[in-house]
Amino acid sequence: MTEKEQKQIFEEWLNQHKALIFKIVRVYGFTVVDQDDLFQEIIIQVWHSIPAFRKESSVTTWLYRVSLNTAIKRTKKERKHYQSETIDGTKHILEESRIQTDERLAWLYDEIYKLDEIDRSVTLLLLDGFSYKEMASILGITESNVGVKINRIKKQLITKSKKYDHYGI
Amino acid sequence: MEFEELRKIWDAQDNQPLYAINEKAMYNLILSKKKQAHHISNISELLLIFVNLGAGIMTLAMNLFKQSVNISLYVLSAWMLATALYTLVHRNQRIKGNQQFDRSISGDLSHAISMASYQVRISQIMRWNIVPIAALTLLGLWEGGKPIWIVVFVLLFFGLTYYAGGWEHNIYKKKKRELEILQKKLGNES
Repeated sequence: MTEKEQKQIFEEWLNQHKALIFKIVRVYGFTVVDQDDLFQEIIIQVWHSIPAFRKESSVTTWLYRVSLNTAIKRTKKERKHYQSETIDGTKHILEESRIQTDERLAWLYDEIYKLDEIDRSVTLLLLDGFSYKEMASILGITESNVGVKINRIKKQLITKSKKYDHYGI
Repeated sequence: MEFEELRKIWDAQDNQPLYAINEKAMYNLILSKKKQAHHISNISELLLIFVNLGAGIMTLAMNLFKQSVNISLYVLSAWMLATALYTLVHRNQRIKGNQQFDRSISGDLSHAISMASYQVRISQIMRWNIVPIAALTLLGLWEGGKPIWIVVFVLLFFGLTYYAGGWEHNIYKKKKRELEILQKKLGNES
């Protein structure tokens, strides 16, 4: 694969699927600095993954695998970053959108962030409409394991959302 | 809220991108990092091979050139060449083993754990390897009648290397533990 072809695929993937990466970045990065750092790591991994893509799965599934793998393994490092955070701003790739985010969406992101690294992945895949089979394939666990995790996460989120409704935040 | 309602809230964000990308900065980053495919263990392995190979050959050449009868230094060069060979063999085994993992998150974690175990093992072996190398070097210096300050200096150097080796080993152990916890979280509830 030539570099030109690789760049073309990268641009195409990013244009069509950047929302997917943004969601992962938001779910695994607490601060804007963390989110920017994670985004940089993910796009580097996506770039390197292009020659290995054999079209055995959809691009979305592939990007989820690459991005979640990067995000899950990075979490510990991220926490250290958060403690010694310095906002530089000069080399940042991501700029937060100025569009007002739905309050309920912000709450949902906060709740997902409170889950552990693995449950966050399951929740993202669930909310993005992946089937149990697809989730099992991305995560490398059995469908029944996926099912048990989903039931637990769903119950947890619904219970919390009821409290959210109750306080009318 | 019911779960379907949560999903509707989630889906609505697809029409409003969370971020804007600074494309120039992004391509500069890719340009600077696109050749960065080497893993840290790759670098430390190559370093181990070249340092031991270089030092082994140099010690042997100096001994032969001087027609020295200093047995310790001959043993030392043989030991270092053997260390380089050992690392090379294990490096090849590691590279062959890289293709055994599937591309799921679990497969990737298993691969990362296998790499971390390898790093833990090799860092431990290399740390202990400092002991015979230090002993043979000191013996060689002693037999060569070198001044005591050189012996002390070399002893301190090896002591520091041993300490740094332990520090490196603990980093790999910690990383391995973190990955194993993640793997456990992924696999539980089945």
